[in-house]
Amino acid sequence: MSLTQRFPLGDPVVVGDLVDRLRAEPDGGRLKVGDPRIIEFLTKFARKLLAPAVARRYPELASLGFFLRKSEIRKALTRLADDGDALRFPRGLVFHVPPANVDTIFVYSWALSALAGNHNVVRVSSRSAGAAEEVLIALNAALSEVEPETAALITQTQRMITYDRSDEISGALSLAADLRVIWGGDGSVRALRQYPLAPHARDLTFPDRSSFAVVSVAGWQAASDAERRGAAEGFYNDSYWFDQAACSSPRAIFWVGDADAAASAGEEFRRLLSEVLAAKQHVTEPAMAVQKRVSAYGAAVDGLISKMTFDGNAVATLELTEPAALPREWLGAGTFGSASVRTLSDLVPIVVRKDQTVSQFGFGREELVEFATELAGRGVDRIVPFGSALSFSAVWDGYDLLAEFSRLVSVQV
Amino acid sequence: MSVFTLSQAEREATLLPQLAELTAHHRANSAGYDRILSSLGIARDAEFGSIAELPWLPVRMFKTHDLKSVPDDEVFKTLTSSGTTGSGASRIYLDKEAAGAQTKQLGATLQTVLGGERLPMLMVDTVGIIKNRRSFSARGAGVLGMANFGRKHVYVLDEHDQPDVEAVKGFLERHGDQPFLIFGFTFMVWLYLYEVARDHGLDLSNGILIHSGGWKKLIDRSVDNTEFRRRFKEDTGLHQIYNYYGMIEQIGTVFLEGPSGNSLYCPDFADVVIRDPETWAEQPVGKPGVIEVVSTLPRSYPGHVLLTEDLGVYNGIDDGDWPGKHFSVLGRLPKAEARGCSDTFSGQAA
Repeated sequence: MSLTQRFPLGDPVVVGDLVDRLRAEPDGGRLKVGDPRIIEFLTKFARKLLAPAVARRYPELASLGFFLRKSEIRKALTRLADDGDALRFPRGLVFHVPPANVDTIFVYSWALSALAGNHNVVRVSSRSAGAAEEVLIALNAALSEVEPETAALITQTQRMITYDRSDEISGALSLAADLRVIWGGDGSVRALRQYPLAPHARDLTFPDRSSFAVVSVAGWQAASDAERRGAAEGFYNDSYWFDQAACSSPRAIFWVGDADAAASAGEEFRRLLSEVLAAKQHVTEPAMAVQKRVSAYGAAVDGLISKMTFDGNAVATLELTEPAALPREWLGAGTFGSASVRTLSDLVPIVVRKDQTVSQFGFGREELVEFATELAGRGVDRIVPFGSALSFSAVWDGYDLLAEFSRLVSVQV
Repeated sequence: MSVFTLSQAEREATLLPQLAELTAHHRANSAGYDRILSSLGIARDAEFGSIAELPWLPVRMFKTHDLKSVPDDEVFKTLTSSGTTGSGASRIYLDKEAAGAQTKQLGATLQTVLGGERLPMLMVDTVGIIKNRRSFSARGAGVLGMANFGRKHVYVLDEHDQPDVEAVKGFLERHGDQPFLIFGFTFMVWLYLYEVARDHGLDLSNGILIHSGGWKKLIDRSVDNTEFRRRFKEDTGLHQIYNYYGMIEQIGTVFLEGPSGNSLYCPDFADVVIRDPETWAEQPVGKPGVIEVVSTLPRSYPGHVLLTEDLGVYNGIDDGDWPGKHFSVLGRLPKAEARGCSDTFSGQAA
């Protein structure tokens, strides 16, 4: 069985040949962490994503292009500064299995790994569409705009491929990899783990995660009208961009402070959110509207909620019987558990390892640091302001990705 | 003897008090149902001004939750249907009384077009579909439920799912000159009965066909209800054709096509509401929306007012073959899919 080479474009190849080619020493010398030839290629590629025509069609690609600009790359590499005597080197060959339905993750995963100097093979879903296709076009186009030596190096060391379900191919790539990166949730992790790795290799996994939002009632009261509108807009982006199914999108919102004030703040927030949805001309498909009803009514049957409010089809607010009843599974685009708590500390006992992102509005840094400290690693990998939940960063799910994609060599005299 | 007699005004007057009483009954006997209505802010002593004001449940609730209004020890029969693959099975709980009522009312509904006698019956399916009584497919349950209305059954398909032309010819030789009953799912009837009858010149003019199951599989053959009726009539003589619309979640209630075709009618113990999917308000005649089915039969589980996932449209009210609203089913709502981090096709991950 052969696999399709999507980047660089090439004839179908059998997995054994592909592995042999990818494991070979590149002609221009081994790749280094922060290799200038990779940076040259990435910045050319980023420029293509930032082209107005592309950015207009796929806003998520503009974010990706921004992430890969030279200055951003420098910042990420600086953070990786070697400590003391240790030297940093690439891991070797990295096999990436990105999710089928978020079109850009595979690029972040690949770009950071390439930046760390690895040879990479990325399995791109055959169901990829739209943004993912655009990315592959941009990658192939960038190849003809860099120095020939760079193009040759990229061609020798980097591959994006597509293949249908195959034990043979997944097995061979797993066995050849020094690091395997699995995105796409628990199911994907389990499916890939049946293929053994080499003894020295390991997995970097991104299982199912869920997220929630917190608003400081005092912070809300202190905010200007414009800030409150900004919060609603940020929350809209966080929640509705991927139909609330992204692991970083909030599935519940906790109002932190005085309960009565929380109720009126919550009402105002819902009104503002409805205005944003109207301004964005957000459409809830009938099937999605029904899906949300099924989820909401189901939560009522299960005794998790005491009240549900539907603001049109776009926003469903489910009053939780207790904070611990927060939904962690997808209920349908625009379905939010809601509860009020006195302090952030009240949320500590309900946090689990699965919790990934807390989007916040109205808190000061100290309060948030205190909250994170109190959580003490129970869960939550990132606390971000409203509007930034979906912004990918080089630190993800608690991992410093560049560090994960590289190895340390210590030298003692 | 017909159960298609009530005008819309009579239907409202007759059914609304019964349905309001059913709503109260289910609230009192199904904690889950009561929690839904309470969470919606509907008071226990709420009054409802019309059938369309009654709170509806999405039909898929019966796939995700066990909802019943009878104690466990009174459950006489549990119906399970797996609908579309992967969406889980509906679980419908019937006590003795409810099981009896649904059989009786289904019978009364079909008698309207079949008359009082059990007719010789041609089943457009394979006998294998009802062989395994332990695990029924929805199709098997449908075939078995209908078998009661006929006698001297002959199955059109052999055990290898191939049309058994000789069996059909034999049936017609014995019974073809008197009224006989034909039952099957729409796409099977088209594929295995129409084509066989046409190719072998069989005379089905004394047949009464009852069929259901939707048109999805026939769309790529460009066959809709009108075409289906026309070709059957022209090529086989079959002209008494009754499509019906029903679902396991309202077992016993079928919305039956009228004699002149192309419109479905509500039996006197049922009603239909077409809703605007944006506002959930009732649509006027001619405007498509989501179909809500209403029936007084579900007493052992709170399924008396259900929002389906089908689209439909009123063709008219009190102006068709029979009194009341009459409507067409236009198709299914597409499935709500989300793009997320979790690869819902994890089976593909390998």
